[in-house]
Amino acid sequence: MTAAPPPGDGQVGLVIDGREVRVPKGTLLLDAASEVGIHIPIYCAHPKMDPVAVCRMCLVQVEKLPKLQPACATVVSEGMVVDTQSDATAKAREGMLEFLLLNHPLDCPVCDRGGECDLQDFAFRYGPDTSRFPITEKVHFDKAVPLSDKIELDQERCILCWRCVRYYDEITGEKEIVLQQRGVHTAVATFDGQPLRSDYQGNLPEICPVGALTHRQYRFKARPWDLIRTKGVCPECSYGCNVFVDSRDFEVKRFASRDNPMVDDMWLCDRGRYSATSWNSTSRLRRPLVRDAAGGVRDVGVADAVKEAARRLLAVSERGGGEVIGVLGSPDCTNEEAWLLQRLAREVLRTPHIDHQLAEMLRLGPAEHALGIAEIESCTAVVVLGPEPEVNAPVLTLRLHKAATKRGVAVHRVAANAEPRDITARVGDARLVGVVADETNRARAAAVASALAGGGTAVKRMTVTRGGNGRGVKDMGLLPDLAPGYRPAVPAGMGGRAILESATSGSIQALLLLHAGGVLAGLGALVESALRIAKVVVVIDTKPGVLADAATVLIPGHSLMEKQGSVTNLEGRVQRIRAALPPATSVPSELRVLSMLAGALGAEGWGSGDLMEVHRALAADVPAYAAAGNGGRARWEVAAA
Amino acid sequence: MAEYKLLTQHIGADGLQTRAGYERLGGYQGLREVFRRFTPEQFIEQVKLSGLRGRGGAGFPTGTKWSFLPKDVFPRYLCCNADESEPACFKDRYLIDENPHQLIEGVLIAAYALQVHHAFIYIRGEYHDQRLLLERCVEEAGGAGYIGRNILGSGFDCEVIVHGGAGAYICGEETALIDSLEGYRGQPRLKPPFPALKGLYGKPTVVNNVETLSNLPHIVLRGGDWFKGIGTERSTGTRVWCVSGHIERPGCYEMENGRPIRELLEEEAGGVWQGRRLKAFQPGGGSMQVLLPEHLDLPLDMDAVMKAGSSLGAGAMMFMDETTCMVNVSMRLVDFYHHESCGKCVPCREGTYFESDLMHRLEAGTCKPEELATLSDICDNMNGKCFCPLGDTATWFVMSAYQAFREEFEAHCGAGGCPVRGGARTAALVGAS
Repeated sequence: MTAAPPPGDGQVGLVIDGREVRVPKGTLLLDAASEVGIHIPIYCAHPKMDPVAVCRMCLVQVEKLPKLQPACATVVSEGMVVDTQSDATAKAREGMLEFLLLNHPLDCPVCDRGGECDLQDFAFRYGPDTSRFPITEKVHFDKAVPLSDKIELDQERCILCWRCVRYYDEITGEKEIVLQQRGVHTAVATFDGQPLRSDYQGNLPEICPVGALTHRQYRFKARPWDLIRTKGVCPECSYGCNVFVDSRDFEVKRFASRDNPMVDDMWLCDRGRYSATSWNSTSRLRRPLVRDAAGGVRDVGVADAVKEAARRLLAVSERGGGEVIGVLGSPDCTNEEAWLLQRLAREVLRTPHIDHQLAEMLRLGPAEHALGIAEIESCTAVVVLGPEPEVNAPVLTLRLHKAATKRGVAVHRVAANAEPRDITARVGDARLVGVVADETNRARAAAVASALAGGGTAVKRMTVTRGGNGRGVKDMGLLPDLAPGYRPAVPAGMGGRAILESATSGSIQALLLLHAGGVLAGLGALVESALRIAKVVVVIDTKPGVLADAATVLIPGHSLMEKQGSVTNLEGRVQRIRAALPPATSVPSELRVLSMLAGALGAEGWGSGDLMEVHRALAADVPAYAAAGNGGRARWEVAAA
Repeated sequence: MAEYKLLTQHIGADGLQTRAGYERLGGYQGLREVFRRFTPEQFIEQVKLSGLRGRGGAGFPTGTKWSFLPKDVFPRYLCCNADESEPACFKDRYLIDENPHQLIEGVLIAAYALQVHHAFIYIRGEYHDQRLLLERCVEEAGGAGYIGRNILGSGFDCEVIVHGGAGAYICGEETALIDSLEGYRGQPRLKPPFPALKGLYGKPTVVNNVETLSNLPHIVLRGGDWFKGIGTERSTGTRVWCVSGHIERPGCYEMENGRPIRELLEEEAGGVWQGRRLKAFQPGGGSMQVLLPEHLDLPLDMDAVMKAGSSLGAGAMMFMDETTCMVNVSMRLVDFYHHESCGKCVPCREGTYFESDLMHRLEAGTCKPEELATLSDICDNMNGKCFCPLGDTATWFVMSAYQAFREEFEAHCGAGGCPVRGGARTAALVGAS
């Protein structure tokens, strides 16, 4: 057979199981097969890691080669003819599975992984029916050995695929796991037996193809088939990692990774992942109530609570105008809630005093978050100002590591107060430089960016916003000087801190607080005096606390696990969230409550507060969001830095 | 036929282990001459011409291996593989013990040919005395200007570092050796890239066996063409054969390639001991397939032995007399591979364990007859499917022994003990006394 001359398009043609495939040069056989939907079983291979070819599960027959070849490590070549279904391949698979199960304890009935275990699945699909090895001869190890306060190791179940070792080598660079001993006595271990310290340990049980590494948080909590799986977004920071919210019996049991190569690249941080069970807190506000001037508290229905709130807000604004009302949302609001809240404030209550946090953040512009997460990999260099960006968005560290080790990006971690000219000298010549800063270092980041830009160097900034939907609520205009979509607000109002101070001095007489418990927590005297002195305090929130205690009208809200809507991550990616848990209160959604309130205040045409209706109105108001759809980035024209 | 003793010709001479003693017998002339007579490229051509093939087991042509190094990528490294751990193999230890400077000279000549400025001698952990000896000799050679900057005024610089392993058979595999040398757990690396492109510290690297390198001074002095005239067409030169087992005079014997195996056994090693008959032999170390008395007239030629279904491997001949239980030998060899499996890939790690367990039960006479089919099957599931040759070779002897001595394997099933050692061996011992 004469091989056709390779075409010049960088593509390679081959035949797998009789199907012709064209893939880019350098593609691995495993990936070429999956391109045409041919499944090859793997244990050691992992889409995010370099091949090691140790499990030998993916051996396939390649014409003209005497030995079976590992598909995970074989680069395709022109004219290759591959058979993944031959007798030799099938026998090799069956043989490997017999070997893999030789020393495996077969304790599937009590294993967390049972039901979502590759060893179980492939043994069923490709493995032998029986074992020819005497059960008494199995090698045993200690079971359930803690590797840290988060991870437990069952060495007997381990098939030594090296994924955990390579994860620490390649993905985090922390090298915390090693293999000890040799042969059948090889075991996963930490250096010197010390506990794992990584902030990203929670990924280990997910990359483990069997039940060797398990989450201590999740051990024995559920079987996979008992779980209800909901697509969500981790609310712990503004990075916006995609997760599956896995719940059972109306409780969140775990967050599992949901690979989004543009955002998380399938890795979660421990802070985010293990925050899962915090959503099961039973300490919740459940019924609306109204407090009278004498301090008497009355249980009311939601309609009455809304009416009472409207009556009291109207009472203060009739005397002093809308400007006596301060409105605070928070990064815990969805985009739809934030957009509706600012509309209520600006159009109905007619107050310009609106914000989502206490720190002053004026004259925000889209240039501050022009750099996308995945775009980091195509930068020449990235400058990270201070530790805050990575402390506040931990998964960013893994993207930076990947950029540095696999894409050759120069990552410069500098002190937040480093001199821009020193940074410029350190970066040197570069085509595209990313400047990453926490939102508290906006001014420094701007100075660094302008020092770097010019002379063939383009600069893009990334700002790590505080709070889960910190970016979304800013886009939605929960800011004193900006309306939705970064349009100037006319007139501009007071920011969060000024609103509270004015409430203390009496010039603000009413406060409307939506999910503000989180941002106002721990502020002590300022919040307490503002709440005490303000005549009207309308609180919509989820948890008991100072706000609920001081509310003159209290309406229970829904947690992020109980509602639908969209949130936006720090790069402007608009992502859907869905209800994973039933609501803890019978009160309707915040969107509905805000719409009812608008109606009670005399506004017309607000509709029912249906999510799709609000979302459509929002998208019409902010075209960047209409363009982003679900999962895309909201973009604004950015003048070159 | 002319007697060719090259590597061992001066062994036994007074003070050969010292620089002065080695020089007195013409030592380090090869190093002097290689600078004078050849450019590095010319010497590589000489080695290609000589037909020298690697003496570590695989028999790959040395000059060809050298020519795989990419041009213009520096630094490059040379590793001398002295991790001799093959069962029944002890020639490298002998060459180091008896003629250490010959190896060092060979290392330096190869370093010059490859333009390497750091050469490593990776020596197995158990060869402690030999390591100390080499360290002393390297120091001595350095003191005389053979190692270091501007060697013998040639302008060529080279340091030689002796590094001890930690006692793992797998580190004789070249990429595992490199991993170990770098300070990692010694386990084979995924190939490609081959060491010639990306080896030690990610740089082009050549790994050569002790005996291979020890040949180089002779090739320098007498030319590749002369070397090619020794031995057979495709197995040139001599080899230092390790002869062991049931023979009168175990030891290392240098003999030209192409002579019959019988000559090695009967003339050099004194024949099978105690007047017994030969039952079988293993021609290339613990990894290789068993051969029978009818194969004694095969020439010591890699290709001829390969054709007979085995391999000369690292040049270790183990002879077994008529009292030997082939199941017992298989079991002991399988145990070795089970003990030495590095654990990196599944078929070797688990397969050798399965094999070893089965062989122990077979030798104890508690195996069921149908388990012999299991033995064949697990060997088939390992052979050709492992990450590196260790796991593959763990099946070769036992499978060949099972084929050649099937009735002996079958007789073990359900026998409640070893029928050979319990019967024939005792009879032979009684008969001999």
